[in-house]
Amino acid sequence: MTAELVDAIAEMRDDEAVPLAEKLLETGTRPIDILGACREAMAIVGRRFEEGEYFVPELILAGEMLREISELVKPLLAASSDVAKHGRIVLGTVAGDIHDIGKDIVYFMLDVNGFEVHDLGVDVPVDTFVEKVRELQPQVLALSGFLTLSYDAMKETVEALVQAGIRDTVKVMIGGGTVDEQVREYAGADAFGSDAMAAVTLARQWIGVAA
Amino acid sequence: MTTQQRPVPAGYALPDYDEAFPDPDRVVPQALAEDAAKPVEQRAAERTERMTTAAALGRPDRVPVFIGAGYLVTEMGGVTRQQAYEDPDLHIELVLRACDYLQPDSLTGAWHHPGPSMALGDRSTRWPGHGLGPDGSFQYAEAEFMKAGDYDDFLEDPTDWALRTYLPRVFEKLEPLATLPHFGMASFGYYNLAHLAPMGSPQMLEAMIALGEAAKAQQAFLGNAARTSQALVANGFAAPPRYGFIVEAPFDYMSDTLRGMKGIFLDLRQRPEKLLAAQQKALKIQLRAVKDYRDRLGGSAVFIPLHRGSDGFMSLKQFDQFYWPQFEEFMLGLIDLGVTPWVFYEGVWDQRLEYLTRLPAGKSVGLFQNSDIFRVKEIVGDTMCIMGGMPVSLLRSGSREQIREHTHALCERVGAGGGFIMSTSVRELESCDPVRVRAWTDATRDFGVYG
Repeated sequence: MTAELVDAIAEMRDDEAVPLAEKLLETGTRPIDILGACREAMAIVGRRFEEGEYFVPELILAGEMLREISELVKPLLAASSDVAKHGRIVLGTVAGDIHDIGKDIVYFMLDVNGFEVHDLGVDVPVDTFVEKVRELQPQVLALSGFLTLSYDAMKETVEALVQAGIRDTVKVMIGGGTVDEQVREYAGADAFGSDAMAAVTLARQWIGVAA
Repeated sequence: MTTQQRPVPAGYALPDYDEAFPDPDRVVPQALAEDAAKPVEQRAAERTERMTTAAALGRPDRVPVFIGAGYLVTEMGGVTRQQAYEDPDLHIELVLRACDYLQPDSLTGAWHHPGPSMALGDRSTRWPGHGLGPDGSFQYAEAEFMKAGDYDDFLEDPTDWALRTYLPRVFEKLEPLATLPHFGMASFGYYNLAHLAPMGSPQMLEAMIALGEAAKAQQAFLGNAARTSQALVANGFAAPPRYGFIVEAPFDYMSDTLRGMKGIFLDLRQRPEKLLAAQQKALKIQLRAVKDYRDRLGGSAVFIPLHRGSDGFMSLKQFDQFYWPQFEEFMLGLIDLGVTPWVFYEGVWDQRLEYLTRLPAGKSVGLFQNSDIFRVKEIVGDTMCIMGGMPVSLLRSGSREQIREHTHALCERVGAGGGFIMSTSVRELESCDPVRVRAWTDATRDFGVYG
């Protein structure tokens, strides 16, 4: 029956998905297997998004289904049930900018593609990025910004990593708004991406994960 | 030049343009000298004519340049954005000085004014000095101010819902509006007076005072905007297009200030009929509001920033059902009213440019952000005046050669036959380099002359 759950989520039948998860729990399916089915479904959703079949409405609805099912299941999980992740990424919208839409889509896509993503939120001070890179030792730092003002904050963040002597430990990608090669060079980032798929492709390349 | 007659703001120091970017090939000094020799009235008239001709899809004497300078004017002046908002005369001075240095046909300065938002305790915006540092950037903080469960009330009576439910959520000072009786009862005349009592509560009276303050702040802003336009013309520049009235595609109307992106896209999947019905309300309300704007204030243009319809947010199938038909109907309605929509096609529209050819020719202006501007010309060049083309990133750190080369291509290919206003990808040049901006306007003079 977990196959039905995978199908309901992947096919966007939200009115079926949550009751189905409830039924599975009642009939003795292990919570961890329900979460496994959710992960499987999210991978399908992510793939369809990459292929241009699904768009943002489907990502959001899938996210809602996942949230509701997780709320049902998570309290029943005894210990940590995290599966092994490909690699670690720290993500955030840079200082002075409170836009989160692009960042959240990138988070979703990196997450469903098996990366461990630490989202620091919006308007993240330069020092916080440095602190978190030092503490979590991610392979990738992903900086988001919508305002043109954010180019400077990106540049300052990269410079602060240099100052802290940890620039070489992490690859930096930037994205959002009007970011282009000119901005990448200005900010001193390793690469820029124009959409969420670019973020996944870059992360795979840098961390060494096959598509 | 007129700069000598005005006081120089403290800290105003700009690099000497010719020293910063020495350029033996430039023919501009001669063109500038010719312009400078003309009477101010003639200069202003020529620049205005250039802008209006291009906007109507015509071919002026040369490609007009419009600069949405935004906070660049405060950076050039060495003052904080907060200072410029607090001192309207200083802001006007900064706009004029930026014009003197950059030599556009027309230019706008800092975005709107925080006054009305501050008076009302606006939860949906952040301003320099209010929720942001003195040099922060204005931002709209999208939130789910309308809940999914509000659709029925919205559809039943959008005005009553807005007054008693929505406004108290968005504006702290308007919370007491939630205590009032249904506004539908207003048409009950004398008999409804019995329900007036809540209007007299001390909280409600305070809310009314706040509303009055916001209105006064808005009047002051409009007065200053008019003075800025007059000052531009008095100094030989064109007044910016009068598109102060903002309306939205019906889908964006429901999304931006009401449901937020997450909410609206869940609605698209979970309650499509209600979303479509609500869009019809939004369409009619806005057309009626623009008609009043035209009749009462002589409004002739509106600004429409498009958000969730661009490439990447929804599929073309969803666009066909939820976005385009309502937007097209709205555009036709506005054009029927004799109003010119200045539409900001934000983001990328490369996959849906063909739709735009269905709009009547020469009746709207399209500002394009990141779409392929050369394809835009090919596809919609006969339909609407195109505005944009210069990426802000080039004006921040591009080389002079890159800037000139790109400007040359824009003038030749996008400018071909007219119907083009040279501008930047976004109407905000914060952190751009004034010298590079000037290199761009100069290059437009060099390459943008119609034979």
